[in-house]
Amino acid sequence: MSHLIDYKNLVVTLSGKLILNIDSLSIPNHQCTLITGKNGSGKTTLFKVMSGLLKPDSASIHYQGLDMNWKQAKPYIQKDIIYLHQQPYLFDASVTYNIAYGLYRAGESKTAAHNKVMQALDWANLSHLAHRNAKQLSGGEKQRVALTRARILSPRLLLLDEPTASMDTDAKQQTSLLLQRLKEEGITIMISSHETHTVEHIADRHLHIDQGRITSLDHSHSEKVTVLNTSKYNN
Amino acid sequence: MNDISQASASAFQLLISGNNDIWEIISLSFGVSFSAILIATPVALVIAFLLAFFQFPFRRALIALFNTFMSVPAVVIGLSLYLLLSRSGPLGDLRLLFTDKAMIIGQIMLSFPLLVAMAHASFQAADRRAWETAITLGATPARAFFTLMYEVRFGLIAAVVAGFGRVIAEIGCSMMVGGNILHSTRNIPTAIALETSKGEFAQGIALGMVLLVLSLSLNAGVSLFQGKGELQA
Ligand SMILES: Nc1ncnc2c1ncn2[C@@H]1O[C@H](COP(=O)(O)OP(=O)(O)OP(=O)(O)O)[C@@H](O)[C@H]1O
Ligand SMILES: [Mg+2]
Repeated sequence: MSHLIDYKNLVVTLSGKLILNIDSLSIPNHQCTLITGKNGSGKTTLFKVMSGLLKPDSASIHYQGLDMNWKQAKPYIQKDIIYLHQQPYLFDASVTYNIAYGLYRAGESKTAAHNKVMQALDWANLSHLAHRNAKQLSGGEKQRVALTRARILSPRLLLLDEPTASMDTDAKQQTSLLLQRLKEEGITIMISSHETHTVEHIADRHLHIDQGRITSLDHSHSEKVTVLNTSKYNN
Repeated sequence: MNDISQASASAFQLLISGNNDIWEIISLSFGVSFSAILIATPVALVIAFLLAFFQFPFRRALIALFNTFMSVPAVVIGLSLYLLLSRSGPLGDLRLLFTDKAMIIGQIMLSFPLLVAMAHASFQAADRRAWETAITLGATPARAFFTLMYEVRFGLIAAVVAGFGRVIAEIGCSMMVGGNILHSTRNIPTAIALETSKGEFAQGIALGMVLLVLSLSLNAGVSLFQGKGELQA
């Protein structure tokens, strides 16, 4: 099974308290990993370390054939991994501006960026909101804008922190539809949740985190991983 | 009573007729204060941002220091600068004493702690997710900084306006290091003090009116922008 990235000996202490202590965590390519855990179990902290936003006490990272410590890996993982907050933050500007934000880094031409944004808006069914101020959107709409804003950058790994928390059934459905499509596009996804049911059907693999340790691997799901692996991504 | 209304009438006259001396004083005042704020603001914003977003040794002490310096009287800053710049002082060779450059330096020192403290409060209240979002979407730290400044722009504008309000009306420092020399270092506050003590009320009242209108609009501006910032949150 090919891994996109491997983290080893990942330790985080905050204010003298041990928050994360993970021996080994491997993210399989093109799959959706679900990680569940109680409030305060360390999901957000883990995602922030994985995406290069938070410096761990120690970590060794294997990525693109290289063995690196967190500091060496930081430029790569910040570039290729996008973290989406539990409550996404949208900039105080139009929806279009928000979605185009990351495109400027690539030095993309104005027209190319514009076309991409239009397509992306269409993809997420957000065209009618294009010129609205992003701060005024509902929680569900914000989440969809945030997903679109991340997808347009073609990340290699998307870390979604409780993407459907505090959403009504409708919004949950729309969001999980987008997640499904992201997965079909081949983007590797990791989703955190303290409840399993809403995103369960998308997940190929189920991890559990408890007090900063990844404790269990759901067996039915790991079998599904194997099946998927041989049928779809056999290499 | 009559004297005052007569003086007020001639004050208006002075302003409207475009009296050279008076408009020279006004433009010098604005020139000096604008320069001071223009120089102080970028540095103050970066420091305020670092204080709000990063952990480093003496961070808390620095914040406390800036808050304390905010309340140092202008005349004390003027005195310190005077001692530095006077002939026998350590920076005497620069020959800056009694020039508008010395006034600019004084006003930078005066506005800097206020700018840092107010901008720091804005950055402190800013949403950490704004910074993290910018970074995870691939922004360089410099671009993420500008993004963050945009997100808290109302608070930052309020800081700059308040800083300008502090220096445009201060007298102690300008008097000490500028010396109130006509055509060279006489600004609105020093002119008011001087002309009034000479018994010439009209010019004093005219300049006082300019300052009053300015202060009122600046204060209104500060509350407007601070209010906007709260509405956004
Ligand atoms: N800056 C910090 N200083 C000290 N402790 C912290 C800090 N940030 C988080 N923690 C602690 O780390 C633990 C893990 O927090 P984290 O936010 O990662 O949990 P979570 O699994 O995302 O929880 P939730 O489901 O509520 O979002 C918690 O006990 C929290 O109190
Ligand atoms: Mg969390």
